[in-house]
Amino acid sequence: MKEPVELRIDATLFEKLENHLFPGDRDEHGAVIAAGIVETPRGTRLLVREVFLARDGIDYVPGQRGYRALTARFVAEISGYCAKENLCYLAVHCHGGKDEVSFSSDDIASHERGYPALLDITCGGPVGALVFAKNAVAGDIWTTSGRYKLDHMTIIGANIRKLYPSPRMRSPIANPMYDRHSRMFGDVGQEILSNLKVGIIGLGGGGSLINEWLSRLGVGHIVAIDFDRVELTNLPRIVGANHWDAMTWLIKSGIPWLEKLGKRLAAYKVHVARRVAKQANPSIRYDAIVGNIVDELIAKLLVDTDFIFLAADSMQSRLVFNAIVHQYLIPGIQIGAKVPVEKQTKQVGDIFTATRPVLPYAYGGCLHCHELIPPGRLQQETLSETERRNQQYVEDENIAQPSVITLNVKSAEQAVNDFKMMFTGLYKPEVQLQHQLHFARERKTIEVKPRANSNCLDCSDSNRSRRARGDRFRLPCRMLEAPSNGK
Amino acid sequence: MTPEVQRAIEEIQRIFPKHNVEVEAEGQGGAYVIVNDLLIGERYLPSTSWIGFTISYQYPYADVYPHYLDAGLRRVDGLVQGAGLSMTVWQNRQVIQVSRRSNRWNAAIDTAATKLSKVQLWLRSL
Repeated sequence: MKEPVELRIDATLFEKLENHLFPGDRDEHGAVIAAGIVETPRGTRLLVREVFLARDGIDYVPGQRGYRALTARFVAEISGYCAKENLCYLAVHCHGGKDEVSFSSDDIASHERGYPALLDITCGGPVGALVFAKNAVAGDIWTTSGRYKLDHMTIIGANIRKLYPSPRMRSPIANPMYDRHSRMFGDVGQEILSNLKVGIIGLGGGGSLINEWLSRLGVGHIVAIDFDRVELTNLPRIVGANHWDAMTWLIKSGIPWLEKLGKRLAAYKVHVARRVAKQANPSIRYDAIVGNIVDELIAKLLVDTDFIFLAADSMQSRLVFNAIVHQYLIPGIQIGAKVPVEKQTKQVGDIFTATRPVLPYAYGGCLHCHELIPPGRLQQETLSETERRNQQYVEDENIAQPSVITLNVKSAEQAVNDFKMMFTGLYKPEVQLQHQLHFARERKTIEVKPRANSNCLDCSDSNRSRRARGDRFRLPCRMLEAPSNGK
Repeated sequence: MTPEVQRAIEEIQRIFPKHNVEVEAEGQGGAYVIVNDLLIGERYLPSTSWIGFTISYQYPYADVYPHYLDAGLRRVDGLVQGAGLSMTVWQNRQVIQVSRRSNRWNAAIDTAATKLSKVQLWLRSL
């Protein structure tokens, strides 16, 4: 298992756990976490899917060797459930203290007695234990290949918090370039941004703005995904794109074969974005991916990110984005702008921009629950052009839609500010990150009340949902396979 | 094929046990499916037909539509035509396209098999 090991939990489940562990009686309480797992070269993440509270005196009782212990029945019940659901089993209890915590010798001895067998029961786990103080957490994680310490825990809500076993030493060297940032969110805030890996899906009008702003904010690592090349009509919107990128002199030559050549030689949008990012922050780590998020290999490049921006138009990209957010507990924001034009009269309708935070829990902004991924549109997008033509569903998609940079700015600006406030912990506790729509012609902004379906396959706790299952669940992606016949 | 598409096909075979189900992978995880000898009602000549459809690789999130019937099918009172019905080409053959989009499709509940039953019922009701 690759280190560091991180535990990720959404704010709603953490609140449930915290209220149980620290009800104010200064006593010890217990629980079990069932978690998914994702292993990447950047480390291992355990993803909290469910929290089972152990009832005092019933499931959590005076121990024979230590102060308290989970009953054998409770352990058997939950570990059996974890084995059945292919989840990791993590026993939880609390100690006194505030900013520092570690296991007692009794704790360690009980792990050594119990966890080898529990690894067998749960088909290889991992299994382990977590011990909490009010502002700290330590973990002892057992796998078939070895034993690991938990590095930290990330709590995902409107503010994104981290807990460690003990207070961290901060780097004493601050980059003077970010002096004005540090005056707002401190050197610590700047360091947090510099350690983030952020995904951007779609590097068109909206995505290219996000790309530049993240780079100037000092984000350390960007993964930019887009399969498209720069076109002449993109130049008024794509940050940093120039006529050379669009091969304007070939495109405007009036000679068909030169125009075709120009299209083939035009720069990929992600390469323009990389150039812009490097200009803004030469030390940024940048992965410019020419590809489609609908393909599994491309989608998997995002599973170890800390945040994802979706700035692409298709329903398929929404589907995959929403799945990654919930399956891997990675918060994200979808942005977009729409300028409806009536087909016959050419009258412009209600122009609106959207900024839609999606946090990985029920009522967190799930795009399915908000009916923003229409199943019919999804079906059409999976068809080839010929199939679409045969089905006579060729609608407006090949007709260019209106698009203006200032509308892109409107949705992207709110998204990047949300991102910055979340990671620097500056949102007030009462803030709810609801979907926001701005109607340009009315100069009006509205917030959309959060929705959740109890059987949603992405955000719900239903046993069919993908939430927090990590690597042990399939993303809804296109598979590359050789066609075969079968009956 | 994706596991979700495979499960959808297994369900079709379970719900329509007496009907030959032809399946061809479409290369990206989805499948072309034809269910043979389905009763579509006495108002048609013949009263049975195969019904074909594509299950896309993003099933069950994606709707399953349109469905296709043998182009040679006729109604006892004339051609098979009307709202939601048209002639087209599917899998290199002339077919009658049945467009029944489910605007309330729920990925947690609706399946390719239930959708096929609904299309069959709709055809019988015409």
